[in-house]
Formats: sequence, structure tokens, C-alpha cells
Amino acid sequence: MKTSAFFSRLTGLGIGLLGVALAGCTDPYLPSAIQNPPRLLVVDGFINSKGATTLLLSRASNLAAPAAPPAETKARVYVEELGGPSVQLTESPAGTYTSAARTLNPAKKYRLHLTTAAGQEFATDYQPVVTTPPFDRFGWRAEPDGLKIFLAAHDAANATHFYRWQYEETWESIPIIVPTLEWEVLYGPSEGRLIPIRNRFPLICWGNEKSSDIKLVNTTRLAQDVVADYVVRALPTTSYRLRHRYSILVTQAAQSEDEFHYWELLKKNTENIGTLFDPQPVQLTGNVRCLSDPAALALGFVGVHSVEQRRLFVERSQLPFDWNISSEYDKCPTDVVKTILIPQVFGSPDNIPIIYAPDGVLATSRECVDCRLHGSVVKPPFWP
Amino acid sequence: MKQAYSLLLLVLLLGLPAFRSHAQQAPEPLVTGDFVRVPFEEFARQLEAQTNYRFYFDPRSVDSLRITVRVQNQPVQAVLYQALLGSNYRFGVDAQRRVFVSSGTAINPALPEDFFQPQGTSALADLPDDEPVAVAAGRSHLISAAEYKVYTIGTGSTSGRATLAGHLRDVKTGEPVIGASIYDEALNVGASTDQFGAYSLTLPVGRRNLKIRGVGIKNTRRQVILRGDGKLEIETEEDIVTLKEVVVEAEKDKNVSSLQMGVEKIDIKTMRQVPTAFGETDILRVVMTLPGVKTVGEGSTGLNVRGGATDQNLILFNDAPIYNPSHLFGFFSAFNPDILQGVELYKSAIPAKYGGRLSSVLDITTREGNKKKLGGSGGIGPLTSRLMLEGPIFKDKSSFIISGRASYSDWLLKQLPNRSFSQSAASFYDLTAHISHEFNDKNTLYATAYYSTDKFRLASDTTYHYVNQTASLKWRHTFSNKLFGVLTGTYSHYDYDVTSRQDETTASQLRYGINQTGAKLDFNFFPNSRHTLDFGASSTLYDIMPGSLLPQGEASLVRPDVLNKEKALESALYASDRFDITPRFSVSVGLRYSFFQALGPRDVYQYAPGESRSESSIIDTVRYGNNQTVARYHGPEYRLSTRYSLSDNSSVKASYTRTRQYIHQLTNTASVSPTDIWKLSDNNIRPQVGDQYSIGYYRNFKNNTIEASVETYYKTLKDFVDYKSGATLVLNHHIETDIINAQGKAYGVEVFVKKLTGKLNGWVSYTYSRSLVQVNAATTADMINGGNYYPSNFDKPHDVTLVGNYRLSRRFSTSLNFNYSTGRPITLPLAKYYVNNAYRVYYSDRNQYRVPDYYRVDLALNIEGGHKVKKLGHSSWTVGVYNLTGRRNPYSIYFKSTNGQIRGYQLSIFGNPIPTVTYNFKF
Repeated sequence: MKTSAFFSRLTGLGIGLLGVALAGCTDPYLPSAIQNPPRLLVVDGFINSKGATTLLLSRASNLAAPAAPPAETKARVYVEELGGPSVQLTESPAGTYTSAARTLNPAKKYRLHLTTAAGQEFATDYQPVVTTPPFDRFGWRAEPDGLKIFLAAHDAANATHFYRWQYEETWESIPIIVPTLEWEVLYGPSEGRLIPIRNRFPLICWGNEKSSDIKLVNTTRLAQDVVADYVVRALPTTSYRLRHRYSILVTQAAQSEDEFHYWELLKKNTENIGTLFDPQPVQLTGNVRCLSDPAALALGFVGVHSVEQRRLFVERSQLPFDWNISSEYDKCPTDVVKTILIPQVFGSPDNIPIIYAPDGVLATSRECVDCRLHGSVVKPPFWP
Repeated sequence: MKQAYSLLLLVLLLGLPAFRSHAQQAPEPLVTGDFVRVPFEEFARQLEAQTNYRFYFDPRSVDSLRITVRVQNQPVQAVLYQALLGSNYRFGVDAQRRVFVSSGTAINPALPEDFFQPQGTSALADLPDDEPVAVAAGRSHLISAAEYKVYTIGTGSTSGRATLAGHLRDVKTGEPVIGASIYDEALNVGASTDQFGAYSLTLPVGRRNLKIRGVGIKNTRRQVILRGDGKLEIETEEDIVTLKEVVVEAEKDKNVSSLQMGVEKIDIKTMRQVPTAFGETDILRVVMTLPGVKTVGEGSTGLNVRGGATDQNLILFNDAPIYNPSHLFGFFSAFNPDILQGVELYKSAIPAKYGGRLSSVLDITTREGNKKKLGGSGGIGPLTSRLMLEGPIFKDKSSFIISGRASYSDWLLKQLPNRSFSQSAASFYDLTAHISHEFNDKNTLYATAYYSTDKFRLASDTTYHYVNQTASLKWRHTFSNKLFGVLTGTYSHYDYDVTSRQDETTASQLRYGINQTGAKLDFNFFPNSRHTLDFGASSTLYDIMPGSLLPQGEASLVRPDVLNKEKALESALYASDRFDITPRFSVSVGLRYSFFQALGPRDVYQYAPGESRSESSIIDTVRYGNNQTVARYHGPEYRLSTRYSLSDNSSVKASYTRTRQYIHQLTNTASVSPTDIWKLSDNNIRPQVGDQYSIGYYRNFKNNTIEASVETYYKTLKDFVDYKSGATLVLNHHIETDIINAQGKAYGVEVFVKKLTGKLNGWVSYTYSRSLVQVNAATTADMINGGNYYPSNFDKPHDVTLVGNYRLSRRFSTSLNFNYSTGRPITLPLAKYYVNNAYRVYYSDRNQYRVPDYYRVDLALNIEGGHKVKKLGHSSWTVGVYNLTGRRNPYSIYFKSTNGQIRGYQLSIFGNPIPTVTYNFKF
């Protein structure tokens, strides 16, 4: 009896210890050393061998900077063919440089060459063209833990080996609450009146997000150059994106070994999961070198390859009924605003009147009725 | 019943010191005088006046006795012995310092004579029949008897020198006492026992008073009349509870008088006092508290000794190298504390008999096992339990000791409510067995076997598993009193595998393995008291399976990938001589010459000279047949050290050591991970060479109870391995393309103050050290930080460690452990930039910044069971709190990009105070 009590105490202690040891404590870490980072040139994009080439030029910024990265404008950007002509890219909007759609000669080598407005000259090496094989399969399936978007590809020539995918998701965003009233401003924000709604909120918007994680597969360790069943995107059963109609566009890119290693390192550098055995971070720059000043660094890898794209749609009705799919408008409390408080409450554009109620007006917040805060009202051209 | 025990204990506690005070606590009084034909009564009166001895005799029987003796600062018994030599008078002395003098037969105030003569002693020492014997209370009767006995060694010569040899053994267990010193204070000549407890001492013939001192044993002495070469076996008592020693003596302590510098020795008892995270004595954690030893993180057992990398330490377990000395990510060391004798760490003057690693030698020895009776010990802790059994096979001739330790963390994990924990698994165990057998007094055989294994899976489908296995066989032969030889055969094995089964098509197992078989022959030769010669030869065959990836299951598409085996032979010859030029000045000159041959069968790539090594710069592949030499390296390793005593309690020592290393650990993580790879030198990877110069000042205070030292060193490291950014180390067929040879330098000052006796004991150390690396390859692409020196991963300039123990009573003691060090270097993200729809980070130069400083306090209370002699077993409790202040020391710092934002996190493994309770027992 005594012994077992002793052991159970010991066990409790052991569990606690092990829990502490394995979970550890994770605290935010913001060292003061990072105050004035170098403003390095950043080149994002690739030279498309079958289509338009789009490159984004920007500058690196402080880790804590909240604003969007500063765009690098008024640069002269060229795609050059080794021993051949060069094509200039045009800037629109600021920092985005685009060429017309063109097909590059797979037997030639190409490079990016640019001169910034400040006169610094950057270029990549001349690289051969990598052609991306098409998708073999592309589809979705509902699994107990959610929706899986999968794909398959292969290269019969056993030459591709290095695959990378990006995706862009689009989904319908439909508010649950439709207001019938509107606050008409007369003399000032809090001096107005409630009227039947005239400027109705859009009933539907389209949410959109591009992938930021780096999806890579290397088949060199496999006997065949095959990507058999790769889950490029997984959504949980509760994902609000699946509430109505959901679409995903997957871009498949084959790349050179160098480019693959660059992405692999970039993934390690920024997506590692904080285990005990993480490799050391690397000072990763890419393949853009400064010709005018060898000490000036540029970040980014500009490869030369084609891409393959596939899109699919998933309807709510195609998914299992027992999935408890949430909504972006789930957490929308409504409240009755007493008559006397009406001007004060609706004087703020964040509060929206819905309908008259006993003792006042039922109200909610703007993000619960205005889907423009969650997406765009412009129906995408590919939407059915 | 319990009250009766308490009462008994109280009596013991109160009674013992009182009882002891007469005999032991008062210093042995010394007598000075010049007596010429003095009547014995007068002589006795004068001695009574000078000392607290009381004389009892029949005045009538001594009326004719006249004493002629001239003495200066001699103990009473020695004076009496000389005074009565040649007469037919005999004397006896008892514990209360009463001297009984009679004519003819001696009055024996103690017990019958055969009681004092254990077989081992009487067989060796020729005790004259009429030799009086006395006993001091509070000590083992056997020991005290031996202390007062005068042993006659050898026959014949009355001038010249003679060599005395023998062993120091524990009186209770018969185990050898290692590293204890035996010396003649008057002559300033001494020796220390080797790992077998053997000593050899050359002294001028005549009467000698030998003192025996050592860590963990009670001080003792032997009186010998040396007439020729002979043997003296010495039995010592274990110092169970370090009571405050009152014996004041001008002992030349090892700190000052030994020639060795940069060596730290800790016995298991000291280690037990140091609090640890899981309540279990951890040999490597204790080593980390020593000056000059650092570690990158607290969950790591990788040692960085004086700016060396974690692979530059030769960790020997009874002579067999251990490749991964840790369990469970390094939270536990892989050695069961119950079986350990102690550990010796050489960090600057590495003896010539050791080689193969650059920075240090960590020599871990097991106990030999009780040769007299069956016993055991064990412990129950929150995560592990352990058990040890020992005993004689043939009494006094051979013994065994076996131990096992296992974790129940696997079972504990299952109890956790958190799903990611309950899907995890972590378990380990280790087993050790050691047998020794003494065939006769010239031949002894020792055998050790060791096995340890770990298996863990952390909330994922990937299972890690690794195994350490060693065996060693040692035969020790005594050729003569002056020449000993040891033939050792060792076998070490380490392997790991990582199994992944998440996806059927990629299910695979990654494996790595290393085998090492070695033989060595070591001789110790003591030609005379001024020279000690060590010489020998060794040879080791390495057999490495550098990696294989094999598919698991039918559906797996993984292509089998097996790297070529690596084979190499490393041999060495060495000789060293310790020469005591004067008692104050001694030097040790040693040379080790090592040879290395990388052997086939292998395909070796050759690269275009002057270019960054990559697949594209391979110009040729050369195929070598079985046992054909692929590459050959050899070179001298100098081992010089010298000591000059400035005074009785201070000395200066200097040393120069060169070491060569032919096997390299490849790890791309900051800490030691179980998936590290060991790689042999070949035609593309050169051996590492280290040179270390050090000088130190040593001084003892307060009658050698406080040892202090200041050591400074400068070290250069050539051609150790560093990695290109983002190197692939696993399954790399041309690993040399991801490795660069780096140069390093390290320097520092270590200040160390140690007090190992008294109620308050422990040590304080402060270290200032730097460890810098330079990668200035021929090609700019491979340069790191522009080819400039940068701090190594373990460059922590300031380090303060306090290990303290205060004994409240015989049963209760508290231990405090304090640790401060500068944070380790880190590569920090400096800026963010937008690529591929997310912010990415731009990192600083390698190791340009530092993590926050490390600071930790641990506290433990050790409760010993009652000191009852007739108890079935002894037990003790250790209650402790690790990281008392709950400081969140960063173990790792990492940055994650989520939702387009980059956030830094610091992970603390022991971010809270961790209480532990451990129950230990001994029977």
C-alpha cells in the first residue's frame, strides 16, 4: 500500500518532469541588435520560358517593420539571351516588371540583367531552360481530417527531379446577416438618422490568398522520376474557405538543382519548426550578383523555367455533411442599441444597424456584414 | 523500535566524537631531546612532560635501564622504539595514549595479535615477533594495526636504494585505490597509484615513514624498514562521510607537487553531491562544472574543452572509446553512476599514452567490485531506476560487478493527456559488467562489457534508435618491482538508425555504424626514484558504414542508397620519461608518433586543384582494392611538461602538447545530435592537428585544505572540419564537397579554488576563454564571414561555476550549484524581405551575435540513512530543485515565418524550477 502510493507520487512527478522537459517553454525573442538592417535589393520571380515573365523588385526592411516592403522603382530590367537579343521588362505597377508572353529557345541560355535607378548593376549567370512536365493527376479527396488537394507528375526522361509548387486559393465569402437599415449622416458623424437601407452591402465577395510556404519534392533518391501522390494543400474539416465554393490554382515548376537548393535553404531558414536538432541558419543570397560593386548583395534566385497550372473547384455539397465547416461570420455578436444611444453608437462607422427591435435597434460590427473586408467584390473571370 | 534506533543513533553521534577526541583529534605529539644514559624513569617523565602520553611500568624492573637516544621531532612510539632497541624491554601503547613498558614480553593493551594481522598483510610484511602493536580507536582495527606496525622489507643491504611496490586496496571490498599518493615526506619522494591501484617507489634504504593520501580514502601511513626491494600491500579505508579532519600536516599536496597540469579528477562521491535535473548523478554534468569545460546547451552532453569541438574528446570507458555518451537527447549521461569509480579529465598535458583526439581525454573507470562479500546498490528516480550487484567469485581473488539502468519514460509518456506526447516514445537502458581476476600476484585479468541503447519518437512517425557497445579485456603483468606491463584489447561499436513510415512510398530506414577494434601494450618502468618511464604501442582498426537508406515495405519507392564502407588503421608508438631533476624541479618529456592509413576497398574522387570542391569539379575516380592504402598520414605528437616548486605550497608548471586526430564528427546542428556522423580522414580530408601551450601557478592554503590554481593556455587547431552553409551531411557520396578545413585558435585563463575537506567543501572556478574559427578557403565561394576569424559555436568568454556542499550533520547535507556563462554565439536574422508571397529573413554573418547569458542555480538536500553498523542496507534520499530561480535560459533560438510575419522564439528546456526526489540504496 505504502509502496504503491510512493510509486504513484513518483509517477506524477515523472510525468510532470517529462512534460516540462519535452514541452519546454517558448518565449518570444526580439534582440535589440536588429535595428538598422542593410537595405538589400530583393528580386522575386523567374524567367518564364513559356509565357510572360514577371519580376518583383523590392528592398529588405527591418524585421519589425509593419509596412509593405519598399518597392524598387525605375530600374531597367532585361532578359538576355547568351549571344542573342535582350528584352526589356516594363514597370507597372511600381516595383513590378513584366514582359510580353514569349517562348524561349530551350537550347539557349538566359539571364536577368538589371540596373537600378541608383546605377547599381546586377545580373544572374546565364542558365539553361528547364521545361516543366505536365500534371499527371490533379484532384481532391475528403479524408477524416479534412480536404486534401493532391497531384501527381512524372518525367519519363528522368531529368526533372526538382519540383516546386505554389498555389492560389479563392473562395466565396457570404455574410450571414443582411442589414435593412442605414445610418444617414446629416450634420456630423453622430448627428444623423436611421433610414431604410439604400447603399446595400454586397451579398458575395471572393476571398483570395497566395501560398507562402515552399512546397518542394526531390525525386533523385527514387528509382523513377515520379511524384506519386503529393498533397500540396490540406484544409481542416472546419475551414471556412470550404463553406460555399472553393477553388485552388496550383502552379507546378521544375527547376535546376541550384534553384531547388536555394528554395530548400530558404525553407529551412524561415520555416523550421524549432526542434532540438535544427541545422544552423545560412546566410542565403541567391544567384543575383552585383556587377558594379562585388560587396553589394542582392537577394533572390531568378531561374529560367516554364510552369504548368491546374485549377479545381470544390463545392460544399460535395463534401461530407458531418463536416462542421465554420464561417468567417461565425463570431458576430448582435446587440440591441437603446434608442438614446443610437447616434453615439452609429456615429462610428464600425457599428452597423441591422433591424428595429423592441427598445432599440439590433446592431453588429462592420466585418460581420461587409464582405469587402474579407475579399473582393469583383467576380474572378474563372469563376463559374 | 524506531525510538530505540534514534537513541542508538544519538549515542553513536554523541559518543563517537568524544571517543575519538583522545586518539585522533589531538595531533600526534612529537618529541625532541638528547638523552645520554638517562634513567628510564627520568626519560619517561620527560616524555610525559612533552606529550600527553602516560607511562605505566614497574619501577623495579626498569631501575637498571639507561636510555641513550637523540631525537628531533619524532613521534613517541618511534622514540621508544629507538630507545628500547637492543634492550630486552618491550612496550605497548593503547588508544588512550597509555604506554606500558615491561621486560621480556610486551604488554599488549589491545586484542590478541592475530586479530590485527589480516592474511594479506601478514603474508607480505615480515613482522618481528617482539614488535609492539597498538591500536587507535575510531579507525578500523586492521588499518590502525598496520599503521603502527613496522614492516621490514627485503634483506641485506644497508646502503643504496631499494624499490618498494605493491597495491593500495580498500580494506572492505578489496578494490584498488586509484590515484592515491604514497610518499616519504622527509625525502620528498612519492608515487601515485595507477588505475590498478599499483605503485612503485624507489627510496634510500633505512627506516621510512610513508604517508598515504587520496581522494575518498582516509589518510593513513606505513612504517617500513627498507633493506631491499620488496612488496608492501596497503589497505585503506573508505572515507564514507568526510568529517572535518583535524590532523594537521605539511602534506605536499598533489595540486602543487604533481607534475601534471590541466588534469581534473573527480571521484564518484564528489559527483553525487552535485544536483542534477533528474536527480541522478551525472558524470558528464559534473565534468561540465570544471574550468575550461563548456557545453553549447543544457540538454546536451557534448563537451567543449578549452575551445575544442565536441568530437575532440576521447571518452574512454575502461579504455574503450564511447561515441555517444548520452541518453535521451543528452538529459542523462550513458553511464550508471553506481558502477563508476571516478573520472579523470586531461585538458592540457595529455600523457603520451593517450592519443587520437585533439582537445581532451576523459577517462572513465568502473569499480572493480567487492572482493570480500556480495553487495549491491540502486536507486529509484522520477524517470529511471538502476540496480548494481557486486561480489567475489573467488574470495579475495576475483570479483564481478554488474549494473543496469532503465527508464520508464516510455510508459510515462503514455500517461500524458496531450496527444502529441502520448504518440511519442522515449526509452533507454544501459548495462555494464566488469570482472577482475587475480591469478597470482604477478598476473591479473580485467574484462568489461558495456551496452547502452536509446529509442525515441517525438510526436511524429520518425523513430530514432542508437546503440553503444564496448568491450575491453586487460591483462596486467608484473615483471618486477620496477616494471609493469598491461596488454589491452578493446572493441567499440556505435550505430544508429532513423526509421520513417509516414508515407508508404517513402517509408525508409537510414542507418549508420562504426566499429573500432584496438590493441595496445603499455609499460611502466621505474628505474630509480628520479625516473618514471612509460612506453608502449597501440593499433586501432576502424570500420565504418557511413550510411545507408533502404526502403521499408513493399510499396516503398525509395531507391536503396548505400555509401561505401570506410576502413582505416591508426597506430602509435610512444615513450615518456618523468625526470625529477631536483626535488623542486621535474620535467616530463614524451613523444607519441602516430600513423594513419585509410584503407580500401573504396572509390575515391579526385578534385580539380584550386577549385571549390563540388560534383562538377571531380576530375577522376580512383578505385582501391581491399586493404590497399588510400591515404597515409603520420606525425609526431610532442608531450612536454615541467614543474618547479617555488615553496612547499606553491609551484609553477608549464606544458606543451601536440595532438593529432584522424576521425571527425560531422554535425550540422549546434548541439550534439544522435544522427551525427563520424568520418575518417582520407585523401580529401586531412587529419586535425592541435598544439597547446599552457602555464599555470598552483598554491595551497590552510595546510593544503584549499587548493588554488591559475592556468592559462593558447591553442591552435589546424584542419578541423567546418561546413559550407547548408551542407548535406547525411548520405552524401562526396561529403568532402560540403566540408571545409577550418583553422582555429583558442586561448583563456582558468582560475580554480577547491576545498574538498571540512563541513563546507566544493569548488569555485572562473574562466575567461575565447575560441575562434577561420575558414579562408582558396575559393571565395567557400569562405565563411569573408575569411575572417569568427567565434565558434561554443565561444563563451566568461564562465563562473560554484559547486558547494555544506554538511549540516552526518546525515544531512545540502548542495548548491551555481552557473553563469556568457551566452553562446548565434547567427541572427537581420532583415526581412518579401519573396514567394511571404517575408523571408536575411541572416547575419555566422555567429555574429550572442544569446542571452546563461544563469542557473540548483539546490539539493541529501539525507543519508542511519549509520547503523548492523543494518541490512544503507539508504539515502536526494531531494533537489534544478533551476531554482526558474530562469528561462535559452536552449535554442529560432525564427518562424507564419502568416507573413517573422517572429523569433526562444525555447527553454528547463524553464521552471524542477523538483526531484531520488531514493538510493546500498546493501
